[in-house]
Amino acid sequence: MHFLRGLLLSLLPVAALAAKNAPVDKFTKFQTKQLSSTPLKLDDAIYAQLTSAPRDYSSVILLTAMEDRFGCQLCREFQPEWDLLSKSWIKGDKMAESRLIFGTLDFINGKATFQSLGLQTAPVLLLFQPTTGPHANPEAGPSRFDFNNGAQSAEQVHRWIARQLADRPHPPVVRPINWTRGIAITTTILASITFLTVAWPYLLPILQNRNVWAAISLIAILLFTSGHMFNHIRKVPYVVSDGKGGVSYFAGGFSSQYGLETQIVAAMYGLLSFATISLALKVPRIADPKTQQIAVIVWGGIIFVMYSFLLSVFRIKNGGYPFWLPPFS
Amino acid sequence: MTDSIVEPFLKGNTGRNTRGILRLSILCLIAAAAIASRLFSVILDPWFNFRATKYLVANGFYDFWDWFDDRTWHPLGRVTGGTLYPGLMVTSGAIYHALRALTIPVDIRNICVLLAPGFSGLTAFATYLFTNEMSTSPSAGLLAAAFMGIAPGYISRSVAGSYDNEAIAIFLLVFTFYLWIKALKLGSAMWGALCALFYGYMVSAWGGYVFITNLIPLHVFVLVCMGRFSPRLYVSYCTWYSLGTLASMQIPFVGFLPIRSSEHMSALGVFGLLQLIGFVEFVRSGVPSKQFTTLLRGFVLAVFTIAFGGLVLLTVSGVIAPWTGRFYSLWDTGYAKIHIPIIASVSEHQPTAWPAFFFDLNLLIWLFPAGVYLCFLKLADEQVFVVVYAILASYFSGVMVRLMLTLTPIVCVAAALVLSHLLDTYLTMTSPDAPAEGASDATNGAAKKAIKQDGLRSMRSPLVGIYTTFSKGSVVSALTAYLLLFVLHCTWVTSNAYSSPSVVLASRMPDGSQHIIDDYREAYQWLRQNTKTDAKIMSWWDYGYQIGGMADRPTLVDNNTWNNTHIATVGKAMSSSEEVSYPIMRQHEVDYVLVVFGGLLGYSGDDINKFLWMVRIAEGIWPDEVKERDFFTERGEYRVDGGATETMKNSLMYKMSYYNYHTMFPAGQCQDRVRGVKMPDQGPVLNTLDEAFTSENWIIRIYKVKDLDNVGRNHTAAASFERGNKKKKTTKRRGPKVLRVE
Repeated sequence: MHFLRGLLLSLLPVAALAAKNAPVDKFTKFQTKQLSSTPLKLDDAIYAQLTSAPRDYSSVILLTAMEDRFGCQLCREFQPEWDLLSKSWIKGDKMAESRLIFGTLDFINGKATFQSLGLQTAPVLLLFQPTTGPHANPEAGPSRFDFNNGAQSAEQVHRWIARQLADRPHPPVVRPINWTRGIAITTTILASITFLTVAWPYLLPILQNRNVWAAISLIAILLFTSGHMFNHIRKVPYVVSDGKGGVSYFAGGFSSQYGLETQIVAAMYGLLSFATISLALKVPRIADPKTQQIAVIVWGGIIFVMYSFLLSVFRIKNGGYPFWLPPFS
Repeated sequence: MTDSIVEPFLKGNTGRNTRGILRLSILCLIAAAAIASRLFSVILDPWFNFRATKYLVANGFYDFWDWFDDRTWHPLGRVTGGTLYPGLMVTSGAIYHALRALTIPVDIRNICVLLAPGFSGLTAFATYLFTNEMSTSPSAGLLAAAFMGIAPGYISRSVAGSYDNEAIAIFLLVFTFYLWIKALKLGSAMWGALCALFYGYMVSAWGGYVFITNLIPLHVFVLVCMGRFSPRLYVSYCTWYSLGTLASMQIPFVGFLPIRSSEHMSALGVFGLLQLIGFVEFVRSGVPSKQFTTLLRGFVLAVFTIAFGGLVLLTVSGVIAPWTGRFYSLWDTGYAKIHIPIIASVSEHQPTAWPAFFFDLNLLIWLFPAGVYLCFLKLADEQVFVVVYAILASYFSGVMVRLMLTLTPIVCVAAALVLSHLLDTYLTMTSPDAPAEGASDATNGAAKKAIKQDGLRSMRSPLVGIYTTFSKGSVVSALTAYLLLFVLHCTWVTSNAYSSPSVVLASRMPDGSQHIIDDYREAYQWLRQNTKTDAKIMSWWDYGYQIGGMADRPTLVDNNTWNNTHIATVGKAMSSSEEVSYPIMRQHEVDYVLVVFGGLLGYSGDDINKFLWMVRIAEGIWPDEVKERDFFTERGEYRVDGGATETMKNSLMYKMSYYNYHTMFPAGQCQDRVRGVKMPDQGPVLNTLDEAFTSENWIIRIYKVKDLDNVGRNHTAAASFERGNKKKKTTKRRGPKVLRVE
């Protein structure tokens, strides 16, 4: 009996200590887990435990849907950035002074949570402020970071988190040096130098050929003047269905266009220019009068018809435009 | 018979004189046409420049230099003298004083209005000179001048009354290029110095001078790569660079940028490169040893690499400023949208869709590549310039609508080159004889071989000429028809699109008559007559210059967007709820708020359509308080009708735009004609502002900011009291008292 009592007595302080440390333990538990692998993989139960009311730590939780069948492009794009952010934060804050837990809740493991939050889209980033302790903010619900402008970089999210967690340390994002890329670049440079030295005698005539440079210049000019940069910047669709099963080649408005449309226009410009060059340079060099006569008629006709077509296309774009030439009115 | 009469005038010295007079009169006519085509309607537009010019004329140059303007950017003010390009104002001031000295009484306003058309005449002349350097054909220059005179791409920025930097800058651009070509051709330090002088003038006139700063070094670099280094090149470039850089540094706004910022580094780098090559060439001419030249080549390469490395190092360490956002966004086209919304929000900075090219240049746009191709025929130093210019300018104009202006001159020149070549070929009276069979083959073969070495594909057979009159007639008449069509096009574009200044809107009534919508001037007039002279007006920055110039009232922000935070403050006030906005407006001592609303008329350039930019710019500074997401519905739509989000409905901009709007319509028919949506019958409620003025077509709405309440209530309570609502407390009263029966 004595022995038993003694045992019990000796256990008491331990039990008391355990009882006293229970809420602290929650953070330490997550923190130790976090140190070995971050961000924490959550499911409904752990999520509930992590976000349950008396908490003296903050947590950032990414709600995502990584599986292929959900087709969440954004989730997959953001995941490596998220991993990088949490890793560099945890690494930079070994003493856990910021008291921040990183967690990822995939839809597969957290259907109930998604439902209870009423989430229709993924990914969503939630930040829970502590309810007790020096930075306590018990009233505020979780702040939410939306991915409106596509996938964000780790630095952008870092800035957001840093804003929320004022006067706590914010370990910066450290991007690992990308060795593969460096090696690839070096190899490519060396390879191209080698290639150039070997092929130089063959390349030189091409580089010094006026026709090549003329072709490059003209193609560049045609591309730029037919609105290629607009396509590039605005990311316009190549073609658009006209709603009747066909394809609509020309966009309606004056300041909108489709990818194919610009190519048609560039081709028209190119043909017109080519015909003009032929009339100006090639035709006077044709020695045979008959051939020359035919060439003049052909090239002149092409210019006329193409220009007329160009004007008619332009009339599609600008309804009030009053001018036209015969074949296409 | 006519031949014999005309003949003496076409031969010998007399002939040259006749042609000279003809050319001169044609040029004068072109200049006259250029000026006349810009006079469709005259309204002075950029009011800030006009205000600055008035200040310059009234207070003299040195006061202008030190001018601190406290009537804009309230309460910060603006160091105007140090933050503008003074070229435009100084030019008109000089003209004013010159005319005064000649005892011609003239108002500075008239000079400002007619400056742009006048300079367009000069531009036509500069284009003539420039093109004559490119071509031996005498007609090319005249054609180019004519094109330049009437091309809509240039008219768009130089109609009478458009008193903007571009008005004189395009003349300076073309003329500087002309002087550069001249200097390069002659290798003359004098022409180089002249070029530098006009370059300095250009720097003082327009921020687009960076185009020259980069184009000339690029030209030189390409020439060096082609193995065309020559003492001519060395002398002309070094003269231009050293003098031009010194000249550009005299402008306070530019200051030390030419040696510190990246967009000027290419000029410096090419300058260094030329010194090295010049040194090597000099040594080589003295030491003919082959090994020594190889050594020198290695030396050049090493120095170049080290210099480049040093440049990168200096940039990284921050001694040399990295690319400024505006220029950086030209290369990385996605940059502006993310980092500098204020640049991306300006409609002039949008990329160019193809109809805009065709609209501004019409047939020149397809003659342009042909003209560039023609430059490859001879490919002397000056033709290389045309090619480099053409490619660079077409890239830039594709990225930004406003840079169409730099493309227009070279398009006119290239098109004139090919057109004059066509006309010269098809307008000769003499026709070649039909070739004798077989005889020509031998000579042809020899000629072919000679040309084949280094020529264009289309130039390989010898020139014969055009045989039949029919060919000549058909081609020439078709070209004439196209040119006439071009003139019609230019006239139509100018009269329709580019002659309606932004302050006056023209619309057509159903019966075809023109209806002038003059709300802007009506509103500015109201402000001028009904408010205190120091009443601060808050509006979006687009209208800052107009308010400052036409209403003569201090503004918070204006079109000189030098302080992004201040603009974001206005954006925040506009996009937050009244409770947040009111303290902001009080802190900035705002008396009136001006919004532009097009819902009644269907005027799409109104503030609700620009609203998202205000939100974005404000979000850039206060990401926690203003969120773009909140202005979109759950389904991601930007709505203003009953389905608009709460944030949208509570924003000051929304309330000011739609305040009392529903009273214009019978119940249930309230409609916004820009967004094409039906508005709810209950309009928004304004507590902290009073409607002060609404223009005839509701385009301009002005609100007065209420003073603090006399008895210390907040505005919501006061307004609620005014409306006759009872106090909140009373509504919370318990139900009627009942007798307790027990």
